[in-house]
Amino acid sequence: MNPVVGVAAFAAVTLATAVIGFYGLRISRTTGDFYVASRTVRPWWNASAIGGEYLSAASFLGVAGLILLSGTDALWYPVGYTAGYLMLLLFVAAPLRRSGAYTIPDFTEARLESRAVRRVTSLVVVMVGWLYIVPQLHGAALAIRITTGLPAWVGQVAVIAVVCVTVMAGGMRSITFVQAFQYWLKLTALAVPLLFLLLVLAGTGTPAVAEAPVNPTGLPPAGPYQNISLLVALLFGTLGLPHVLVRFYTNPDGQSARRTTLIVLGLLSVFYLFPTAYGLIGRVFAPGAAGAGQADALVLLLPGRMIGGLAGDLLSALVVAGAFAAFLSTTSGLVVSLAGVISQDILGGSVRGFRLAALFSAVVPLGIAATTDSTALAGSVGLVFAFTASTICPVLLLGIWWRGLTDAGAIAGMLTGALACGGSMLAGAVLGAAGTPSWLAQPAAWTVPAAFAVMVLVSRATRDRVPRSITRLMTRLHTPERPLVTER
Amino acid sequence: MTRVRVTAPRRVTTGAGPVASGTGPAGSGTAGSGAGSAAGSGRGRAAAEARRAAEETDAGQVFVRALIRSQLRLGIVVAAGFLLIMLGFALLLGLVPGLAELRIAGLPFDWVLLGAGIYPVIGLSAWLYIRTAARNEARYRDLAGER
Repeated sequence: MNPVVGVAAFAAVTLATAVIGFYGLRISRTTGDFYVASRTVRPWWNASAIGGEYLSAASFLGVAGLILLSGTDALWYPVGYTAGYLMLLLFVAAPLRRSGAYTIPDFTEARLESRAVRRVTSLVVVMVGWLYIVPQLHGAALAIRITTGLPAWVGQVAVIAVVCVTVMAGGMRSITFVQAFQYWLKLTALAVPLLFLLLVLAGTGTPAVAEAPVNPTGLPPAGPYQNISLLVALLFGTLGLPHVLVRFYTNPDGQSARRTTLIVLGLLSVFYLFPTAYGLIGRVFAPGAAGAGQADALVLLLPGRMIGGLAGDLLSALVVAGAFAAFLSTTSGLVVSLAGVISQDILGGSVRGFRLAALFSAVVPLGIAATTDSTALAGSVGLVFAFTASTICPVLLLGIWWRGLTDAGAIAGMLTGALACGGSMLAGAVLGAAGTPSWLAQPAAWTVPAAFAVMVLVSRATRDRVPRSITRLMTRLHTPERPLVTER
Repeated sequence: MTRVRVTAPRRVTTGAGPVASGTGPAGSGTAGSGAGSAAGSGRGRAAAEARRAAEETDAGQVFVRALIRSQLRLGIVVAAGFLLIMLGFALLLGLVPGLAELRIAGLPFDWVLLGAGIYPVIGLSAWLYIRTAARNEARYRDLAGER
């Protein structure tokens, strides 16, 4: 691929991000603007921003790559990524907004009246954020290597630098605009080249997917346990993701939090049709891309390979731009939410503390990413979902719906989930993809129930620790806001 | 036109402060509608009293508990329904041989079903949930007298 294409595409995305970010800077002045955009973001903006933030390297590159490798089994990934939002809507969206808390640790502290719970939650949130940023940086490394031939670390450092500048300058308000823009950029970057691909396929008279899709790796299909465990992770992991949840505080009230989620579901459903189509086209017409160990780059390579010439270069540039939008938006969303947590817990919640915390929360995963090797992107993000599903998800669900949850139960459950799931992830990394048994490779099916069980049992045993404010809290979480428009 | 300003107690709804640790300026968003018109403030005060009643009286708590139960039941029913449909899709593909050979507009049937067919189900479930959840809340408002 023409190296100029990759560099130009990255520069264009960076420039657009910076321009929109600085436009946001002019209108974000208060601490509230920095953390949650003062809760004045409209549902359509907010939903686009959530979509922009959520569709990470795993969705943009990883899904198509995994479909190329493992066919219909991989189709459960986009389904799970989307259906996770359904669970979020059903059990979390409105009550969480009504809690009035800024971050997940804010929520657990208020619900359980315990500083210790807050500290454990913060720790888990920071771990989730870092684990999630690392695959984004691996994606950036892959994209920069494939498209420009530059060393991989250039892509990682560039992404982190751009994210730090935008987040530290504008906080949540400017990030909202940037994220919303990046959703539509990502959609365009997949849709337009796909249109041309289909035109080319139709024009050359290729029989439209007449032959059966090839299985380029010859791997056996995943068993039912793996698919179920994966779905458990994705369905319950989404509702614990810190960068997704922080977005719900920017809705004016509970009902609009629900409306926002409905729009997000629509946006995600439309988006995931495209990586699926790329994966199918790749499986039929370019199965060789899986052999070189670059399956995740399928989306980037397909336009150049099948169209070629100047048109191919331009379309490749568009896809590369979309990929960098994915790295940038997810990373900055995570950095914002991590910075919110770290600065409130350690640095006193000022704007200056927020900036320092943003720098800190971006640089650590850069170090991790630089010293580790990339594996399949969709797979490693799937493991992060398993981790949130076994830690943050139980404390949120039980905290919102069960009066009996106690601080001791919450801490015990979160630690159980973190140790079980984190241990499985470590074991999987040590044993390698081939040597890992499936119950360690996809741990969610047993770690999530274990975390729930421990949380409930310990809460039952420490019944006298149920906070006395529980009645008032449950009323606030579940009753509708005053019917008047109180926020102008 | 002269404006009569009924001063509703501004933070009466929040009791002992917002649920959050209250670090930011935005509060919980329920406090302070006092600056509006006279009618607005009056209604605000009524609602504030209704919320206080809901929190503090046994009768109010009966309604709140009923609301929580109905919302939880609704969530579980919708989630279970969706999961059953998904399970049905998976079983259909696994147990009916020859479906994978079927073509819809040139595309393999299993790809169409999993790659595109599930999304409308998700959207429909979400839409049904939102409608019913809002109806539950409206009924709660009627019962609790939050008008």
